[in-house]
Amino acid sequence: MAYKMLDGNSAAVEAMKLAKVQVISAYPITPQSSISEKLADLVADGTIKAEYIRVESEHSALSVATTACLVGVRAATATASNGLALMHEVVGMTSGNRVPIVMPVVNRGIAAPWTLWCEHGDAMSERDMGWLQFYCQNVQEVLDMTLLAYKICEDYRVQLPSMVCLDGFFLSHSMQKIDVPTQASMDQFIGPYIPKNAFLDTSDPMFICDLTSPDEYTEMRYQQKKAMDNVFEVFEEYAKAYEVITGRKIQIMESYKTEDADTVLVALGSMCGTAKHVVNKMRAEGRKVGVIKIVTFRPFPFEAIREALKPFKVIGVFDRSAGLGGQGGPLWSEITAAMNGLNADIRHFVGGLGGRDVTETTIEKIFNELLDIQSGKSLNHTQWIDTKENAMTLREVTVKC
Amino acid sequence: MQKQQEQQTRNCKKINVYGPCANEFVSSNTGSWRLERPVVNFENCIKCGICESFCPCNVITIHKELKESVEIDYDYCKGCGICVNECPKNCIKLVAEGSVE
Amino acid sequence: MTKIKFYGLGGQGVVTAAKIFSEAVSLYEGKYAITVPAYGHERRGAPVNTSIIVDEEPVLLNSFVYDPDIVMVMDQNVIHKGVDIAEGIHEESILILNTEKKEMLSIYEKLGFKEIYYVDGTQIAMEKIGRGIPNSSMLGAIAGVGIVSINSIEKAIKEWFKGKAGDKNAEAARTTNKKLQKN
Repeated sequence: MAYKMLDGNSAAVEAMKLAKVQVISAYPITPQSSISEKLADLVADGTIKAEYIRVESEHSALSVATTACLVGVRAATATASNGLALMHEVVGMTSGNRVPIVMPVVNRGIAAPWTLWCEHGDAMSERDMGWLQFYCQNVQEVLDMTLLAYKICEDYRVQLPSMVCLDGFFLSHSMQKIDVPTQASMDQFIGPYIPKNAFLDTSDPMFICDLTSPDEYTEMRYQQKKAMDNVFEVFEEYAKAYEVITGRKIQIMESYKTEDADTVLVALGSMCGTAKHVVNKMRAEGRKVGVIKIVTFRPFPFEAIREALKPFKVIGVFDRSAGLGGQGGPLWSEITAAMNGLNADIRHFVGGLGGRDVTETTIEKIFNELLDIQSGKSLNHTQWIDTKENAMTLREVTVKC
Repeated sequence: MQKQQEQQTRNCKKINVYGPCANEFVSSNTGSWRLERPVVNFENCIKCGICESFCPCNVITIHKELKESVEIDYDYCKGCGICVNECPKNCIKLVAEGSVE
Repeated sequence: MTKIKFYGLGGQGVVTAAKIFSEAVSLYEGKYAITVPAYGHERRGAPVNTSIIVDEEPVLLNSFVYDPDIVMVMDQNVIHKGVDIAEGIHEESILILNTEKKEMLSIYEKLGFKEIYYVDGTQIAMEKIGRGIPNSSMLGAIAGVGIVSINSIEKAIKEWFKGKAGDKNAEAARTTNKKLQKN
């Protein structure tokens, strides 16, 4: 094993380097900036043989990467927060034109209120745009998932773009000990980019992205839906191949110590690590709890989830985004839909917004509330966990009357 | 003047607001970022005003009628040193913060 | 599992120190370290801190440290900037302080640490590196409390800074390690 100490952003860059991306266009934004910078360094010193195209915004960055891919090369970009929001229009272009870009999204809350820090609200805003979404627990997963994403996205059965989501600062700037596969093994696993759908060739002209009438639009969306349906099969196939090379098992979702658990918590991202740590601590004290970590949020693995959650009567779901105006956050809504018809009490927790740390104490408080509901000791839970009591009178200003 | 201000305070009230609003911007004291501060030697100063026009933070005011003609607002001066570089008479220097009053 | 917190001021290399330290324990001592830096409004001179968790097994916990076993203060003045460096400490917590001033030590003595180790890392950095940036020298100090060996710290520093700068920084660490005193 070739261990390295890397932060999440460096791991994403390492994966792009191993995938030998040919065109890069990234616009720096906190906490993604070190991805743009490291890619520029590696192009400048010749480590990555790619064209680095400088642009004035994220809208242009994704436009360049998408169109570069449409002329037949593997292209790269990365973003975060308001940068992803600015990309929104092009996000639909990429998936609708079936361009298999792999894009790290360093999760940060969207303004206002202005924040630089971690939240899943940015990626959740793009969840129905036809991109695959993977959420990583640790830096090793950022590397593994990005590498695996190239295989999944570029497979002829999928041909859709993907966001590899890593928590801002908690992963992007957290140094961890990880194993990096060799270039030779990844050359064999990923290989050169071969366009499998339409691509532009000056010697054989073609039109891409024409105006589509109501007569065909639905069918083209249906093609995307079918591609989404194929993802799990393709994921399993390549995850197996990746495991043979690296010895690491990458899963669509992971059940952690759930076999004999009284209650479980479903979550996304880096907080799953903390939740697992709390599970071990609570189990040592005789309290049987478990965690279900969702890696693939798009497409949502509803069948696997339903199967995994079937034995549980009380389930907690932690959303690191507010889900404003909904009955619950996006993850809770999906879980509830997946559990339709089963008699389970699914409790919704919102927290970790705008960089608020999801601590051991937070997770333990949630498990205790769930256990109390399970044993009939209590009926209620704290939906907005860790919210200050003075929320409604937080700020005071002086005004003229 | 004094009376007018009192009048204003009397006609003000405090209200709760939602979202990121404030009367005072807590991060506005940019002077606290400074590691070195510009100090002017008024003996050689010719009151040309070049430091004033080059200051990126607009914190320099020239008083031609006074001997101490260059006024620097240290609440907002970040200590970038551009005035030091631009001064044609080399009469501004940077000194470490804390070493002078 | 050992929970560590580094405090200092922006520009002193607190985050870099945490990275070099975590490389030393992870790559040269076979342990697992993760760093969780707390970034604020980034600028020079502001108080900053970084959390580090070290364990024999891969670390699952991914959050800041609230109950540190070891606190290292790279700038004696952080205490005057509204930072409570003793927050969350327990009866076994130890402090490593960059100062040799008696009046400073007496302020830190009141905070309730079990043991206090101190050395003038800034002075040593001035002598050995020529700049008053105490990050490398204070890594020598943390090696003095047994969490990591000075050899691993020196290897990690040389790997990080490369060449001559690496040698100078490693020498600063070695000197600090020798001069570290227990209060």
